[in-house]
Amino acid sequence: MTLLRARNLVKEFDVAGTAGLVKPARRFTAVDHVSFELHAGQTLALVGGSGSGKSTTARLAARLVDVTSGTVHLDGQDITALQGGDLLEVRRQVQMVFQDPFSSLNPRHTVERIVTAPLRYQKRPVPGGVRTVARSLMERVSLNPDHSDRYPAQFSGGQAQRIGIARALAVGPRVLVCDEAVSALDVSVQAQIINLLRGLQAEEGFGCLFIAHDLAVVRQIATNVAVMTGGQVVESGSRDAVFDSPQHEYTRRLLAAVPRIRPEWEAARLRNAGRVREPQ
Amino acid sequence: MTRYVVNRLAGMVLVLFLVCLFTYMVFFLLSPDPAVQICGKNCTPERIDQIRANLGLDEPFVTQFLNFLRGLFIGREYEGGINCPAPCLGYSFQTSQVVTDMIVQRLPVTAVVAVGAAVLWLLMGVVGGLISAVQEGKFADRFIAGLTLGGMSVPNYVLALALQYVFVVWLQWLPFPQAVPFADDPVQWFLNFILPWSVLAIGYASSYTRLTRANVIDTLDENFVRTARAKGLRPDLVWRRHALRPALTPIVTIAGMDFAGLLGGALITETVFGINGVGKLAADSITKNDQPVIMAVTLLAAFFVVVGNMVVDLLYSAIDPRVRVGVSA
Amino acid sequence: MTLLQAKGLTVTFGATNVVDGIDFEVRPGGTLGIVGESGSGKSMTSLAIMGLLPSSATRAGSIDFAGTELTKVTERQMRAIRGDRIAMVFQDPLSSLNPYYTVGTQIAEAYRSHRSGVSRKAARAAAIEAMDRVHIKDAGKRVDDYPHQFSGGMRQRVMIAMALSTEPELIIADEPTTALDVTVQAQILDLLAEVRRDTGAALILITHDLAVVSEVADDLIVMRHGRVVETGTAEQIFSDPQAPYTQALLDAVPRIDDSIGDLRPVPGGPA
Repeated sequence: MTLLRARNLVKEFDVAGTAGLVKPARRFTAVDHVSFELHAGQTLALVGGSGSGKSTTARLAARLVDVTSGTVHLDGQDITALQGGDLLEVRRQVQMVFQDPFSSLNPRHTVERIVTAPLRYQKRPVPGGVRTVARSLMERVSLNPDHSDRYPAQFSGGQAQRIGIARALAVGPRVLVCDEAVSALDVSVQAQIINLLRGLQAEEGFGCLFIAHDLAVVRQIATNVAVMTGGQVVESGSRDAVFDSPQHEYTRRLLAAVPRIRPEWEAARLRNAGRVREPQ
Repeated sequence: MTRYVVNRLAGMVLVLFLVCLFTYMVFFLLSPDPAVQICGKNCTPERIDQIRANLGLDEPFVTQFLNFLRGLFIGREYEGGINCPAPCLGYSFQTSQVVTDMIVQRLPVTAVVAVGAAVLWLLMGVVGGLISAVQEGKFADRFIAGLTLGGMSVPNYVLALALQYVFVVWLQWLPFPQAVPFADDPVQWFLNFILPWSVLAIGYASSYTRLTRANVIDTLDENFVRTARAKGLRPDLVWRRHALRPALTPIVTIAGMDFAGLLGGALITETVFGINGVGKLAADSITKNDQPVIMAVTLLAAFFVVVGNMVVDLLYSAIDPRVRVGVSA
Repeated sequence: MTLLQAKGLTVTFGATNVVDGIDFEVRPGGTLGIVGESGSGKSMTSLAIMGLLPSSATRAGSIDFAGTELTKVTERQMRAIRGDRIAMVFQDPLSSLNPYYTVGTQIAEAYRSHRSGVSRKAARAAAIEAMDRVHIKDAGKRVDDYPHQFSGGMRQRVMIAMALSTEPELIIADEPTTALDVTVQAQILDLLAEVRRDTGAALILITHDLAVVSEVADDLIVMRHGRVVETGTAEQIFSDPQAPYTQALLDAVPRIDDSIGDLRPVPGGPA
């Protein structure tokens, strides 16, 4: 059963400064007839360069931005034009994790308040009280639950991103949209967050829309990939199909451009370390 | 660029029309009936009706407004053979004068007050801000910060009276203000204006000092300033080209807007210092409830703000290449 | 034979050594990669060489540049070296260029401040030539464009043109491709290699990206918490890393060509 289905999504923006007194502004098409499907337990990565429309596509799918045309279905229900209480329900089902963990966490609120905020906004009952819920959320993202009364600034970047993830998980979403969620993190921390997301997905079975420009990260986390450029999806398919036998010229160019550690050094290192990487 | 200017001009005309409309509407709806006031004590309903008819006050709003607009562009004639040529802003029955004349007579002196104050506050603001920025956190910075706090918190009228008391009455450094034409006694003329200029300037100068300080400090933190230093540029060039220009550009443009909005400040300053400018005209008219004059001054102020805004926008697009239209980002 | 040699280089803010007694050297025409995660002190190292540290920082140790001790020279002498013999390319080309001036003006400015008696015209010609060398098409026209009229990659080309216009012996590039799209990143790395080949300039490449450094650098230092944890040729370090941190870092790098099970996070690192 398809969890999230986007059909022919189009988003146009006005070009600033081109509007006349009566003449409408020039339009710029950021997302140009994009369709995709996301299943429960799957991670669909939208990849592409800056200005490819991948982030806007994610925002359209999460109903953070209204579409110019096209439809978004969640669990078979058309959510494209929902308002009010129905939209609130969509907000519960679809949660976001952003790139910069610090700027997306209110610096004046404690972790407890931050991670339980979605429950309050949704006016949902809090079983066992706010403190208990906060502690259990923090445990699920491997943070020390005793730190629930601390402020974001007291955490490292990786920890702050864990808080962002905990907040997203609070309302038990069925879709998690990660917009460059690991891009700002150091390699060592990035690995932890990727592992965390994979583990949580295995436990909870949510579908994940993963926006990223870093193809190596995508290779680690995605089950499916859609390659975007100029607002359009030029290629999509299962991860290994796209990475191992890219069909579109742009995908090939993108993959060829990714810097790689020289394979002969890599092989030598694994030999020297006495381990051979198992192909999965 | 040309299209941008044309667009802006068209927008400005529209805004000015709306300003006229709303101002006229406010005075039409809210103010007491001028006919009653003109009529005085021994008044009969018949007489009021007659005055109304004379003034055109018995016409519906739209007709009155159109008459007003017509007066603005082609002039109009009031009952009793009073000719009010374009731009006719109305006729003051209390003073028996054409409002346009009343304003035109007083505009030059107000301009002197405004321009002098603007020069003064720009000088004080920019210099103070630069000193603060260079001395960030040191004594000079904190001292200036104290001054600006004072300058911003003291109301204009208090400052005006206090300065007048200190410098004219107590220290007697400045002569008692008296109207002297510039040609007769330039020194006295200039001394007369020192206090009004200062009073008007101090509030603005304080906020400009803060703005300049913040802009300069922010700009010095910019990556392009680091690039300039990494090029091996002389420090004075780094400052002049890479720090000051980006830091001061917004200040010059904001100054244009504030200058346009000066009339409010002029109102108090001119009243306190007895300068017979547009500000004092407005104050006097308010006390006498001379509506045509109040409305005309309001319109004039709005006109300056709208035009000032427009000039600033055009200026900005000329100074900052990023705002220029017709180039793709 | 070394072009630049740092010994016991230390940068201190208050009581904290953000760079803590590090040694490294750059051969003439060679490429040294400085690799580290955030907080490793790698960027401070570059600013320490350039003498561009914030005023709240103090610098100790020695930096020998072609026989000149950079920690001992006057600010005036340092200014003559900066932008002339050692040039720098920064991470974010948009904010590193002044929006108020044309790119030509900004390139010419670097050139003129180090060549006395150069006319405006000659400096402009030099700017156009430098833009040609970094393969900006229509350099003669684009020289009068403003930074916002260029794409990210083109802006970085402008920065590189600015750096090479004075024929420096050493170019320091601090995360020069981090802000760029991956296809553009590859072009800029190629360009840096080409510039190095053509001008014989040495390069210090500062980056967090191990894959980038493996494609470019001859020699490598790995930094962590202000210290050098490993030094060697790129081949040595990538094929047989000795320090546990380097090993862990290499394990943590996500690979594009295959997907492993769990990535191995760096032990003892920040969570």
